[in-house]
Amino acid sequence: MRIIDVHTHPVFFTKGRQKSELRKLVAHGKSHGVKRMIVLGDVLNYGGTPNEEQLRLINDETGGIQKMFPNYFVGFCYLNPNLGEKAVMEEVTRCVTNYGSKGIKLEIANSADEPCMRHIAKACREFNIPVLQHSWSNTNFRPGMDSHSDPDDTALFAQRNPDVNIIMAHLVGIGYRGVIAAKGLDNIYVDISGAFPEDGLIEYAVEHLGSDHVLYGTDIPIRQSAVKIGAVLGAKLTNADRQKIFFDNTAKLLNLN
Amino acid sequence: MLIDTNVNLGSWPFTFALNRTAAQLTKHLAASGITHAIVSHFGAAFQPEPTPSNRELFAATKKSKTLTPLPVINLRLANWRDQLAECVAAKVSAVKLLPTYNNYSLRDKVVGEFMTALNETKLRLVINMRYEDERHRYFALNMKGLPLSDLKLFLKRNPKTHVLLSGIMIPEVNELAKKFKNFSIEISFCEWINSVEDLVKLLTAKRIMLGTCTPLLSTRGEVDKLRLSKITPKAMDLIRSANAQQFFNI
Repeated sequence: MRIIDVHTHPVFFTKGRQKSELRKLVAHGKSHGVKRMIVLGDVLNYGGTPNEEQLRLINDETGGIQKMFPNYFVGFCYLNPNLGEKAVMEEVTRCVTNYGSKGIKLEIANSADEPCMRHIAKACREFNIPVLQHSWSNTNFRPGMDSHSDPDDTALFAQRNPDVNIIMAHLVGIGYRGVIAAKGLDNIYVDISGAFPEDGLIEYAVEHLGSDHVLYGTDIPIRQSAVKIGAVLGAKLTNADRQKIFFDNTAKLLNLN
Repeated sequence: MLIDTNVNLGSWPFTFALNRTAAQLTKHLAASGITHAIVSHFGAAFQPEPTPSNRELFAATKKSKTLTPLPVINLRLANWRDQLAECVAAKVSAVKLLPTYNNYSLRDKVVGEFMTALNETKLRLVINMRYEDERHRYFALNMKGLPLSDLKLFLKRNPKTHVLLSGIMIPEVNELAKKFKNFSIEISFCEWINSVEDLVKLLTAKRIMLGTCTPLLSTRGEVDKLRLSKITPKAMDLIRSANAQQFFNI
């Protein structure tokens, strides 16, 4: 079975930068059937609200990883919407032009319901790329973490921008609430990355969103391929559904072979 | 043989986790290659007293060749000696503590009294750290993981008792491994890119067992964490079954 992992961080708090380490990661992925990994960047290395220079450093590193293994790693451009339209558009243009970035990655600089997200929607439209938004249910979260996008926030962004494709990250983190928030929004895809593999959630997401809207992802190195793949294989799904989740949906969304 | 040391009967609130019969549970585990399981009952975490759920556990597993009961002792209750006596009478090999769910601390005086009584029985001890990741569970259940400082004190006070820690996370294992050797772990809540390989380096395979936290976590996902790890055949054999066989006298 072919697999694309839509949610990876090959470099995590500066660890994993060496080519030898990346080579090991490629071998690790291939041993599990992972044909491509989407690189989202070392997104928290400078904290939750990186400035323009820090974003460039992170994105250059992602670009460098792509260039080392062009047939394996696919990069997303990491952004901070708070920096404004000019900064957002300049960095996206730079990433797409220099590195062929296939999408935008957003972490915890702001919540997805904030006005600054209009810059992201504009960039997505202009370059015809999706945005992957870190999302996590805030109903039971630590105090002071309100810049994490609650699934309701990410869903609101999707409602406001129906022509923009959005990947709502972390199925277990968004939970049943997240699936319900995304239901009926055709421009939302949910990735299964992050967190422990809560039993039954993948089936619930497929039942309510359709297998066309669920994407395989891990959050490597925080999580591991064997567990996530096993969770999909162990879920009560058809092989056709699994093939969509593992490969077809992301390939179609990002125009990958 | 593949032994799962963290499996549960009963209902867990605020989830859609399946409440399987013993036969259904055995069939479910077998689908992921598990041939034997150490089973507790969720009722011991939520009901006022664990004896009814322990009895239900004993009855459900009595005729099973693949399910070994792991009853819970609630040390918050004055009748804990009676609970323990009933476990001894049931000829179990180990008992489990749920300090956070049962509202007591491992620092409490009663824990020392319990350990004295437990040592007279020769039963093995399992301590639960958590059943859920507090970052993504339903808001109505607000239970923190077992405080690591309490566990450290317990391990220090009981150097001759080798306990199995259930539901422990990797950062906690890293912290404990610096000072203590009198514990083993099961891996259901241990995850990193190469978790099993890293844990073998840290603890040696002799102190690691398979655990899936069924039915809350994906059984297949947790089994594949071990099955697909790149460790020696000897280490794999220890973690798959040999350690659990010895610990639980299977």
